[in-house]
Amino acid sequence: MKSAANRPAHPGDGDPRLGDASPQASGGAPEEHPESLGEQTVAFRAIRDDDVVSVEDDESVQDDERDESVQDDEQDESVQDDEASPAAPGEDGDAAAPGGGDDVAAHAGNPGDEGDEAESSDEEPSDDDAAPELSIRPAAADDGDSDDGDGDAGSPGRDDEAPELSIRPVESGEPGEEDSGAGESSGSGEAELSDDDAPADGDANPELSIRPADSGEDGSGAADDDASSGEDADPAEDDEDEDGFWPTAAASDGTRVRETPVPDEVSEALTNALAALRASVTGLSFGLDLPGVEEARRAQAEILTQLDDYVIPRIHMSTAPALIVVAGSTGAGKSTLLNTLANARVSATGVRRPTTATPVLACHPDDYEWFAKGDLLGGLERLEAPSHKTGTDGLVLVSTERLPQSVALLDTPDIDSVVETHHEIAHRMLDAADLWIFVTTAARYADAPAWRLLRLAKERGARLAIVLSRVPPKSREVVTKHFVRMLTEYGLGEVERFVINESKVTDGMLPDHEVTELRLWLAELSVDDQRRTQAVQSTLTGVLDSFRTRVPALARHLEAQVAFRAELRRDVDTAYAAAMVEIEEAAGNGSLLRGEVLARWQDFTGSGDLMRTLHLRRPGRFAGKASHQGPERLSALKTALRTALESVIVSAAQRASEEVVARWLNRPGAGETLAATPGLGRPSEDFVRRAGRTVAAWQEHIVQLIRTEGVTKRTVARLVSFDVESLALIFAIGLLGYGTTEVEAAGKGALPQRLLHALLGAESLRNIAAKARSDLRARIGMLFDDETSRYIHALDSAGIPDEAAATRLYQATYNLEVAR
Amino acid sequence: MTTVGIGTPQTRQGLGSRLAALTRIVELGPGRVDPKLLTESGQLLLRAGDRLKLSSDHTVVALAGGTGSGKSSLFNSISGLDLSPTGVRRPTTARTHACVWGLEGAGPLLDWLQIQWRHRFARASALDKGESRLHGLILLDLPDHDSIRALTDTEADRLIQVADLVVWVLDPQKYADASTHRRYVTELAGHDTVTVFVLNQADRLAPEELAECVTDLDDLLRREGVENPVIVTTSAVTGKGVDNLKVVLADTVARRRAAIQRLEADLDRLTRRLGKIMPDDDAPPPPAAIDDARRIGLTDALCDAVGVPAVGEAMENVYGVRSVEWVGWPYARWAKKLRPDPLSSLRLGDLKDEIRGLTGGSVSAQPAEVDNAIQALADGLTTGMHEAWQNGVRDAARSRSAQLPQVLSEELTEVAPSLDRVPAWWRLLLVWQYLLVLLFVAGLVWVGTALAYGVFEIGTLPESLEMFGDAASLPWVGLMMASVLGLGVLTAVAARNVVVLGAANERERLEREMRRRIGSVAEGMVIEPVERELARYNEFYGAMRSVRG
Repeated sequence: MKSAANRPAHPGDGDPRLGDASPQASGGAPEEHPESLGEQTVAFRAIRDDDVVSVEDDESVQDDERDESVQDDEQDESVQDDEASPAAPGEDGDAAAPGGGDDVAAHAGNPGDEGDEAESSDEEPSDDDAAPELSIRPAAADDGDSDDGDGDAGSPGRDDEAPELSIRPVESGEPGEEDSGAGESSGSGEAELSDDDAPADGDANPELSIRPADSGEDGSGAADDDASSGEDADPAEDDEDEDGFWPTAAASDGTRVRETPVPDEVSEALTNALAALRASVTGLSFGLDLPGVEEARRAQAEILTQLDDYVIPRIHMSTAPALIVVAGSTGAGKSTLLNTLANARVSATGVRRPTTATPVLACHPDDYEWFAKGDLLGGLERLEAPSHKTGTDGLVLVSTERLPQSVALLDTPDIDSVVETHHEIAHRMLDAADLWIFVTTAARYADAPAWRLLRLAKERGARLAIVLSRVPPKSREVVTKHFVRMLTEYGLGEVERFVINESKVTDGMLPDHEVTELRLWLAELSVDDQRRTQAVQSTLTGVLDSFRTRVPALARHLEAQVAFRAELRRDVDTAYAAAMVEIEEAAGNGSLLRGEVLARWQDFTGSGDLMRTLHLRRPGRFAGKASHQGPERLSALKTALRTALESVIVSAAQRASEEVVARWLNRPGAGETLAATPGLGRPSEDFVRRAGRTVAAWQEHIVQLIRTEGVTKRTVARLVSFDVESLALIFAIGLLGYGTTEVEAAGKGALPQRLLHALLGAESLRNIAAKARSDLRARIGMLFDDETSRYIHALDSAGIPDEAAATRLYQATYNLEVAR
Repeated sequence: MTTVGIGTPQTRQGLGSRLAALTRIVELGPGRVDPKLLTESGQLLLRAGDRLKLSSDHTVVALAGGTGSGKSSLFNSISGLDLSPTGVRRPTTARTHACVWGLEGAGPLLDWLQIQWRHRFARASALDKGESRLHGLILLDLPDHDSIRALTDTEADRLIQVADLVVWVLDPQKYADASTHRRYVTELAGHDTVTVFVLNQADRLAPEELAECVTDLDDLLRREGVENPVIVTTSAVTGKGVDNLKVVLADTVARRRAAIQRLEADLDRLTRRLGKIMPDDDAPPPPAAIDDARRIGLTDALCDAVGVPAVGEAMENVYGVRSVEWVGWPYARWAKKLRPDPLSSLRLGDLKDEIRGLTGGSVSAQPAEVDNAIQALADGLTTGMHEAWQNGVRDAARSRSAQLPQVLSEELTEVAPSLDRVPAWWRLLLVWQYLLVLLFVAGLVWVGTALAYGVFEIGTLPESLEMFGDAASLPWVGLMMASVLGLGVLTAVAARNVVVLGAANERERLEREMRRRIGSVAEGMVIEPVERELARYNEFYGAMRSVRG
């Protein structure tokens, strides 16, 4: 009855979802779970908007929503239990009718369409032909159960596409990926209930209607762990919340859950999604030493190894021998335990801490080939005996008759000794484990590292058994009680526990009677395929679930890196923009014309050279030739001007570079290492030279401008010619603000300006001035671009990920959810 | 195995002066040294001051270790009483217990250690036979540092940092735990003299296993940088080896040096870290003061920023040009005026007056060039310095650079030559020249009359003017006129030369004066702050050397 009570919640969930996707249907959405709607929207909006939503995408949205809503269900369960069975079908019907009606109206009355997701039908109005994927699912349903829920939703079009069935059944048959609807109805196995389901689901989500069909085909037991644990009431909650104390779960599931056949073929979608996830995780690089970057790098490596070592192989072979990883503190007796269980000295024991450096995998001879072939933990070299040389990528493989079939034990290095590589190996092994056996001792059970591991198990949703070993017999009761209390407080009270007394170790083995219980447990696991499968699936599900948070966490860090890089970039730009402003100001307000320039100018004018630049145009005399009277004063003025402008630029660049470094140092993390790059705190080596060249080039440019554009007023030109060089210089002096400050006190307007004005005319003067100014700006801009590129280079050499990487990660996570 | 290594032959005096040097470092360090390290230095100073003030007759020995290693059992075993509760539940001890041999004077020390009253126990040592050798021992039984409880409790951590002697209680199961080694043993490598390792629960191992275990532990500790690990094997349960430990403790207590050794070890460690971020081996022998070459370099650069040579040259040239108007040969001037003027054709006639009106007299400094001059000085001084100090020197040099251009301008304007001044002798010469012109004109008139009356005899002159009509005077008059002209030219040339010479002298004087003023401004506004910073730098590294001992 539990499943029946639960089921109505589904359509209830389905409707808000539909409402979310297509506004028309929202009218029919029951208000039972507003909060779940909110969560879903938050969680998946961003991606959905970006993507072209394929049918599968949408499905996964719903899948995921379903997962989340399951928890809502659980919370609201008591309420629902009361009213669910009577109320729900009615509600479903209500919801279905208006929703369907709207859709029909919108899409030229294709009954099949309305069953489909609103979005997909939006995109492809003629679903029958256009959306093959859509129709595949119904077809699968058809196949399984030709006239059940499908009859309702099914359109003629679907039957046409029945040949494509073959794709879906694989997935639907595969446990762990399946939608909860299936498990539910199959669990109940009641035809009428699934009938009820079907129309409702058909309205909200066509896949749902398929699932019952599939499961109908497979039989009532086809529900996978996910479905059963996710959907069914109490045991399911245990699974979710307490990392699956599987005996309990098995007890409740056992009656209803039939063994899932190992899929001979694996859902391509899932494999592809995992491959995509792997690819997008592989490419990441966290170049900037932001706080937390180490964790991110580690997390990235962990995810990669786990994908390679465990998830991808495990997806492919589902329930093949379960790998039980024995993990725990150094000196806890992991190797001794393994030896005892294997009844052979397969793993070294001793008083030296840490003892085990290379993991040892012990399995039944029948399974030996399988492990030797090595899909699981494929990255590790298979060894005959432990060797000290292999470092972190070896795995000793031994077979023993004493271990039951289908269950392999893996002895790992410690998690808390001084040898840190051991921790990494141990965690890598745990990442590949189907079940964890956590070994601790009476002296250690309160150690912080031990509890960190337990927390990890809890977070990952791994199946866990705890062995408390080396317990002095006389204090067994006290210690056990205390430990259990601690576990219970931690929410792990239900986990399977074994207690082993401290006893004499002979030849690396305990007396066999100490491990009888454990051996029985293993045997049971070996014999009971269903229990084993369930445990394996539960862990796999937990791992896949964990990607939901772990991968986005990576992505978030990546985004932080990208944002941080942008900030650093902005610091550079800001500093140099400020320098630019400073220069322009200095170049405009006359403050440039101080010191030597002023003196030279006075020299130039006062000595009469200024006047000498003007020649009366006389017949027979070569007009416009360079002044010979005082080239030394002219060039001195020119040099002084260049020096002044150059030092303004150099000084501004110096300040800017200091500013950048100071800003970067103020930023926590990456700034420091980057600012430590030598030479960033000052302008580049040849900056002074380049600045000088730039200014000189600008001066040349002015001469050119004067020469080409400085057409003398005709009235003037008849009378006077001028020396271009000198005039360009006078022009530059005027341009740089002569007379705008205290430099020139004379009230009648600045001398150079008036002279130029008289010679060139206002129009021409303005033109040239504008051009010269923008040219100066452009030249300094280029100079600064070279400077800033040093910082950009420093940033880039740290290896900064492209900005799309985070999106790819989100998308990969999303696609994985879709594929599940 | 039972002796604590002999401490460095340093006296308490040595520690005192090193601590004083560290105090200097803490004072001088801010802004130059990593603040975290400075904070730690400050804490060490505080702790050292406290500890040295408190009883030097007592030695604080802390039993530290992971949960379940048997610290409390060992504590009880050493004290011979069941003072600290032991148990099988983990973690057992949550508060530090203290046992004092010889209570007098220990109170303030225990207060400082923040041991609760109810966890203090005393052994009236004199009454215990055989225990008098432990007189002065304060034995602490710490809580563990590695259990989940310790995550939120730093008591063990705190006491491990302040105890005079730390006894690490290890056991065969946990002796290689990362929580002990990574966090403490490796960190406190170099504290050999004030660290003892006890491998407890020896009774759990067979003798050969125990030997293997000890060897392994010894290797591990040596790998971690503990040079001479003192390892004692004990069994708190059977009492085996506890006496050995007591001997070690008694030895330490009797020498009463553990407190100082501990502080020295802490100081050494801190010094090493300081030395790592502030290496002074490769630091150049820091310039005590700014040498003359650099001063001159700075003054030169500032002179360039002001344009001293240019000002001088301009003055010289403008004087030269302008003097022509006063002391030049008038005829040349008049001839020049006859030439057509381009400006007049541009209707810019007043421009000339304006140019003439360029009075000069305002000398100003180019801010950017001043900046660069200071930068160059700082760069030259700080080559090879630590970056923090480079920045320090640079900032010191720049400390007043914002006002510098202004101050320079004001200072120099006082001495700046005004280009339009006219010396009195110019006027005199002008008068003289005009006098000559007058003479010439008079000569002309004379010649005219002589020609008219003497040669052409157009009439007779009055008697009084007869001599002007005398033709015979003509050669003389002509000679006089030529002389007058010649005198004019000569005067002009001579005056010109005098002007030029004078201007050159004036220029030299001016430049000297300006340099002097610039030099004194630079001294006050740049050199002085820089030298202060350099002194600070020297003092810092001096302190670094003396803190190293």
